[in-house]
Amino acid sequence: MKILKLGSLPLLTALIVACGGSDNDGPAPTPTPTATPTATATPTPTPTPTPTPTPTPMAMFTISVTNLTQSQPMSPPAIIMHQGGFNSFMDGEPATFGLETLAEGGNPDMLISEAQAASEHIMSMRVMPVPPLTIGDDNTISIPASDVANLRLTVLTMLVDTNDAFTGTNALDISNMAVGASRIVNAPTWDSGTEANTETADTMPGPAAMAEGGAAEGFNADRDDLIDRVHFHPGVVTSANSNDPSREGLSTSVLTEIDRWDNPASRIVITRTQ
Amino acid sequence: MKLCKIAVATLASALAMGSAQAVTLDITITNLTHGQSFTPRLVVAHDGSQDLFQVGETASTALAWLAEAGVIDDIQNPASIGQNFQAQLGGTPAAENALVQNPTNNWQRFGGLLGPSRTSAVYRFDAGDFEYITMATMLIPTNDAFAGLDNIRIPTEPGTYTYTLNAYDAGTELNDELNSARTDVVEAGTGNALGGYGVPGVAGGPAPTRVVDLGTGGTGVGAQVVAGEIEDGTDGPVHIHRNVLGDTDDSAGASDLNSKVHRWLNPVARVVIVVPQP
Repeated sequence: MKILKLGSLPLLTALIVACGGSDNDGPAPTPTPTATPTATATPTPTPTPTPTPTPTPMAMFTISVTNLTQSQPMSPPAIIMHQGGFNSFMDGEPATFGLETLAEGGNPDMLISEAQAASEHIMSMRVMPVPPLTIGDDNTISIPASDVANLRLTVLTMLVDTNDAFTGTNALDISNMAVGASRIVNAPTWDSGTEANTETADTMPGPAAMAEGGAAEGFNADRDDLIDRVHFHPGVVTSANSNDPSREGLSTSVLTEIDRWDNPASRIVITRTQ
Repeated sequence: MKLCKIAVATLASALAMGSAQAVTLDITITNLTHGQSFTPRLVVAHDGSQDLFQVGETASTALAWLAEAGVIDDIQNPASIGQNFQAQLGGTPAAENALVQNPTNNWQRFGGLLGPSRTSAVYRFDAGDFEYITMATMLIPTNDAFAGLDNIRIPTEPGTYTYTLNAYDAGTELNDELNSARTDVVEAGTGNALGGYGVPGVAGGPAPTRVVDLGTGGTGVGAQVVAGEIEDGTDGPVHIHRNVLGDTDDSAGASDLNSKVHRWLNPVARVVIVVPQP
């Protein structure tokens, strides 16, 4: 009966499917009788069942992050599962310290710490970075099954050849996913609003800046962007066309036209496996 | 079996709720861009018989007024009388931002300039019993870019619905990216000053929504300045905007926009519509 409380629209279809007697494969033509009533047929008395400590039913998910960009490496993504009501950031509001350190320096640890401190937090992990043009690993995450009713997913990773661009999901609603079901999200790119998009060798932490021998600084506590609020990223300007009559490009940028991207920049695939 | 009955019953009630009934929506819009502002928003609930804009089709004069000058109704600009969305949709607002009810639509203008990464107030909008909703707002500073919510069927289930909006090019003006405050360039043929509807040049907002001052001296992007004149051409039917180019030189280069400030990647806006419990 507990399941009725969940009565949202996606669940309705799940319930109707359940009428057929099958969990995943759609309605079977005839409801096959379950075998359990005849279980008493086996006469051999089992010895007292080993007193297993009542296991918490677990729900298991795999989550992968695909880097859709041509040449922007992604920092180690933070994968955070939490209840509704928590957000690592909000569009139009200043970034937290944790988001700033992720977006400017590619370090997800402070962002994860902030999430862990929230009462809505369920489980979080830092996973392997994803190179450009690469399908990321399937990362397995296991949570108590009782938490799926109000489940949200935050996945955040920096595009490291930028000042403070990041991509991912912001408290994506993945509640009540059926076992075997998948969700695919094509994600946009945000600008944390915490650092001016100078694109110089001294201010970006990625390989583009390192190749130029700059300081390649990641996090810097200064907030010197145009507007100190999280928003969608306008893209990188790069040095392309900076010295022709159009003056379109940014002559101080160490990025080249290949470092540009368009939305979506990442694809996040979520599958419930148990 | 018990489960089956419940599922069917719930589904039946969900279907029953599909019938049209007057509904007041709570709408908010967030400007997701780095350096573009939104002009006042036009929200229209309608019966499906009219489009504010249709990708692949030539923009109406009303859309040109909205996309080139941010103008929706007579109150905003008397020069637009008979050509604007007030004329296209019908009716007369009793006051600024008042709801207008017509046989085939309800429409309303909401808010003032909405700056970058700002979220609007909650707009309470009486959608009547119309099935569809459309929204549009101009991006400034641009020549004729607008963000649009394109004919969404109004959800009938109570709940919160989120949509992202792309930037469209109305196609009614070449994207010259020239500062309308310039006096060293005029419209070719007429000698008219640059500005809003029907003449070249980008519409720009005042501070603080103008996040940086526009440049001068640009030679033109989608059209070129020739001997102090710029052509007022068109660039096709409504389509997804190819973005502004901008440049990094405030007194020269091709554009009077700033390539570090004014560009965007779609989507440019998020609209949240709350359908209340009946």
